Formats: sequence, C-alpha cells, structure tokens
Amino acid sequence: MQFFQDSFFSALLLIRSLDPDLLNVVAVSLKVSALSTLIASLLGIPLGFTISTTDFRGKRAVITFLNTLLALPTVVIGLFVYLFISRRGMLGELGLLYTQAAIVIGQVILIVPIVTTFTISAINRIDRRYRQTAKTLGADRIQVALVLLREARFGIVSAVVASFGRVISEIGISMMLGGNAKGFTRTMTTAMALEYDKGEFVLAVALGLILMTISLVVNVMLNAIQGRAAS
Amino acid sequence: MLYDLRGLKKIYSGRTVLDLPELSFQKGKIYGLLGPNGSGKTTLLSILGFLNIPSAGDLFYNGRRVSFTEKDLLPFRKEVVVVDQHPILFSTTVYKNVEFGLKVRQVPKFRRSRIIQASLERVGMRDFMHARGGELSGGENQRVAIARALACSPRVMLFDEPTASVDVNHQMVIEEIIRDLHSREGISIILSTHNLSQAAKLVQEKIYLFEGRASAFTHENIYHGPVITEGGRRYCLVREKFPFPVNGVEDGPVKISIDPASIEIRNVARAPGRSEEWLNGRIYQLTLERDRIRILVDVGIPLNILSSAGACADMNLSIGESVQIRCPKKAVAVI
Repeated sequence: MQFFQDSFFSALLLIRSLDPDLLNVVAVSLKVSALSTLIASLLGIPLGFTISTTDFRGKRAVITFLNTLLALPTVVIGLFVYLFISRRGMLGELGLLYTQAAIVIGQVILIVPIVTTFTISAINRIDRRYRQTAKTLGADRIQVALVLLREARFGIVSAVVASFGRVISEIGISMMLGGNAKGFTRTMTTAMALEYDKGEFVLAVALGLILMTISLVVNVMLNAIQGRAAS
Repeated sequence: MLYDLRGLKKIYSGRTVLDLPELSFQKGKIYGLLGPNGSGKTTLLSILGFLNIPSAGDLFYNGRRVSFTEKDLLPFRKEVVVVDQHPILFSTTVYKNVEFGLKVRQVPKFRRSRIIQASLERVGMRDFMHARGGELSGGENQRVAIARALACSPRVMLFDEPTASVDVNHQMVIEEIIRDLHSREGISIILSTHNLSQAAKLVQEKIYLFEGRASAFTHENIYHGPVITEGGRRYCLVREKFPFPVNGVEDGPVKISIDPASIEIRNVARAPGRSEEWLNGRIYQLTLERDRIRILVDVGIPLNILSSAGACADMNLSIGESVQIRCPKKAVAVI
C-alpha cells in the first residue's frame, strides 16, 4: 500500500511540476491521435455517408466487413503496416518506419472502420422524410447530403470522439510502428509500458492519470453529445 | 395541361400499386385524390412531385416530358412542392426551416427575411419564428411546413392528407389556408384525402383511386369477411358479427364496399321494434355535404351513410342519437 501511495503522490508532483519529458510525451500522443482522428474522419464520414445513402450490390457484405474490422487487434494492424513500410516492404523507400507518420497510418487504419460504421448507423437512423423534404424544396444532391449530415451530426461527432478515445489509448500500433523513440515517437501508452519494464512507476502512474483524465473528458463529451441528441 | 399521365405504372416488389392508363390535371384548379388507404394516393402524389420514379409510362408536366433523371428533375422540383401528411421540420428554428428553400434558390439575404415573415404570416405562425421545430404541435408543424413550401413560390402544391394528423381547429385553419393559396396566389393544388366531406368542401375536381386505378366513383365502407350461406341467403360476415347480404359469389373471403347512399337508416325512437335485419348503432358525426348529409354511425364498425337533408330532419337525427341501419343487397358490392 505504501508503495502505491508513494508512486501516486510522486506522480501528482511530477504532473504539477510540468516535467518537460512528461509534457513531451503527452504532446506527441495528442498530436498523433488528433491527426489520425482528423484523417480518419475525412475518409470515414464520406465513406459511411456514401454506403448508407447508396444502394449497390454487396452493400450488406461491405457493412459486415467493416463491422469485422472493428475487432481488428492493433498488433495485427501494426504487423501488416510494418510489412509495407519496413525497409524490405513495398513502401520501404519512403522511410516511414519509426516515425510519427507511421503511427498515424496505423491508427487511421484502426479507426476508419469505427468512423465509417458509426456514420452509417447515424445516417440510417435519420428519418427518410428529411431527404424527401430537402428534395421537394429544390435541394440538389450536395444540399440534400448536407441536410442529412446536419441531422446526423450528433451521431457523427460521437463517432469522431469515440475514435479519438480509441487511438489515444492504443499501444500496439504506436509500439510496433513508432518504435518508442524518446522525444519523437514516444506516446503516453508506450512510455508507460517502458517505465513499467524498467520498474519506474512514477512517470508511468503520472501518464496513467493523464490518460484517464483524457478518457474521462472524452466520455463526458460523448455523453453530453448523446444526451443532446436524445433531447 | 398541368400534368398528363400516359400508361403510368408503379410496381413495388412485383405488386402494381399504381396503374393509370390516362389521367390529366388542369392548371389553376384544386384536385382531390380520394380513396381508401393503400389506393395509391401517396404514390401518385410523390410521382407528381418528382420524388418517385414510375416503373413505366410517361409523365408530362406543362407539356414537357419528364425524363426522371436526377439532374432533369431539379428544375421541376423548384416549381412543385409536396407537403407531407406528417411533415418533418429540420432540427433548427422555424425561421431557418422556411429559409431553406430560399437559400437553395439563392435568394439574396435581404429579400429572404421579408419572404419568410410574409409566409409565416400567411399561415398565422409569425410569432413562432424563433421556436424550434420540436417545440411545435402537429397542427403548428403542418402550418410551418405549408409556409416553408409557400416561401419557395411554387406553381403547384401537393398535399398528402393535409389534415389527417391535426385537431379540428387546425383542420379548419389549414383548409382555409389551402383555399386562400388557390384563390389569392393562383397556385394549382392537388391534395389527397380519404375525408369525403373535406373533399366536398375544398376541391373542384375529384379523382377516385381504388387499388391503384382511377375509379368512376369512390368505394366507401370497405370491409373484408368470409361469404357464408345461411337459410338459403348469402352474407358477408364482417368481423364475425355483422352480416351484409351479397349476391353471386362463392363461399370464401371477399372484400365488399357498401354504397352509403343505399343504406337505410331509422331513428330507434320511431322504429316499430327490433328486427334481425336491422343493426343498432349510434350517430357520432353529421356533416353537410353539398345538398346531402353524411352520417357517421357506429354499429360496432363505422359506417358512412348519405341521406337527404329533408329525410334527416324528418327522422330528427342528431349526434348521439340511437339509430338502426339496414343494408339492402343492392347497397353491397363485392370488389
């Protein structure tokens, strides 16, 4: 118990002192996760919208495939992306391995299915009369799409927030593709794993507290959004 | 001619829901599409509103053939607006809802405000300008939907059961608004309704639809039931309780229509006594329909009866009155 208390209070002091190493790790994590979420949203929202509003052969199969991807382990993504971007891989010449860009690529692959399936579900829940109403008032395809996205905004924002929560807390991709280089690709989760391996728990606990705070903020935002949508 | 339909068909999953070899609508009139639920009224309105694509046939609007490609439909939609039976408002303010069609038409901002206020004024909803869609009642919703359509300056307005989901007060207001839109703005109006008294009050031309086809008259009092033979007489037994005499059909399930003008009615207070041929019921609605009175009687099932005003006065019929009704064979048609 004493050990836990010492680690916990030391971690609080570390956070309070705004330790540069700690801040750097947090900044890398937030930067990489925010960028991944942004790219995944730019890809996933239009993709989800298109799948939801278009009838085509194999639509059910596509949705089933996307749902399957939701359960994809981060280490599997890490492994596949590694095979592509490692020196011997197809994209080896780009020198992406062990960079923040590599982490972003892996994380985008991780959360595009989340953003897409949540968007499909949000658009599917929209009353079909919105589309008919926009059309009869003279809206063209893009204007109709904007109406639907507006009406589904709470569901779509939930998708984005949930995706951010997923990437900020993942470790497999960051470790395998980022390499945990200090000051460069070291994220909160990889730093925690490293500190744990070293038996140094103060920084690990401090990062854990920050990660939990971020998760809490994300969940509070998600609840607020869903509450607003329900009302 | 406003609309000209030739060989128009709509088929859903192999079932023909609309089959209109020839039908025309003239400009500047109020048309009523009448018929029971499932007769194809809403489908026809959505095709006339360019929101639904027919499976076969041609539609001409103002003499131009409609090709039903998304790109070609856009200019047509800017002239014709459909107001749904249960209109949905975008999840924003009433003002922004009405503004939508104007933005789509790229009306300059300084003109929009004036048009929005005038449109809301026309339907008596100006005070609700800053209310949100979800805060309104069904009738208010319907009125805002009319204002939203009106702001687009349409040439044609299509109403799907405009008063089906509103209370009596809103029903009268909406009927007045529709009449006003036609007389003051000269907007051609096509509305669907299964309310015959509303049609009698509001519309200039009636088109009866039954099972997707234009019919010479409306089928009223439609019921299902098996045909049974008892004591040498054939009956269609509706809801296992109400026998209506039928002719020339085999035993088995049928759909019947009872002509409201042929149903006999008498006041219980003046009736000579109980008789098996007569069904007991109570009047719960009386409506003046041109020179006749439409009587809605509950005999366990609702029955529409048409009678002359003189006969009603002679029988001293009023709402709540206990009556007896009898359907002669000639009143019942197997359809």
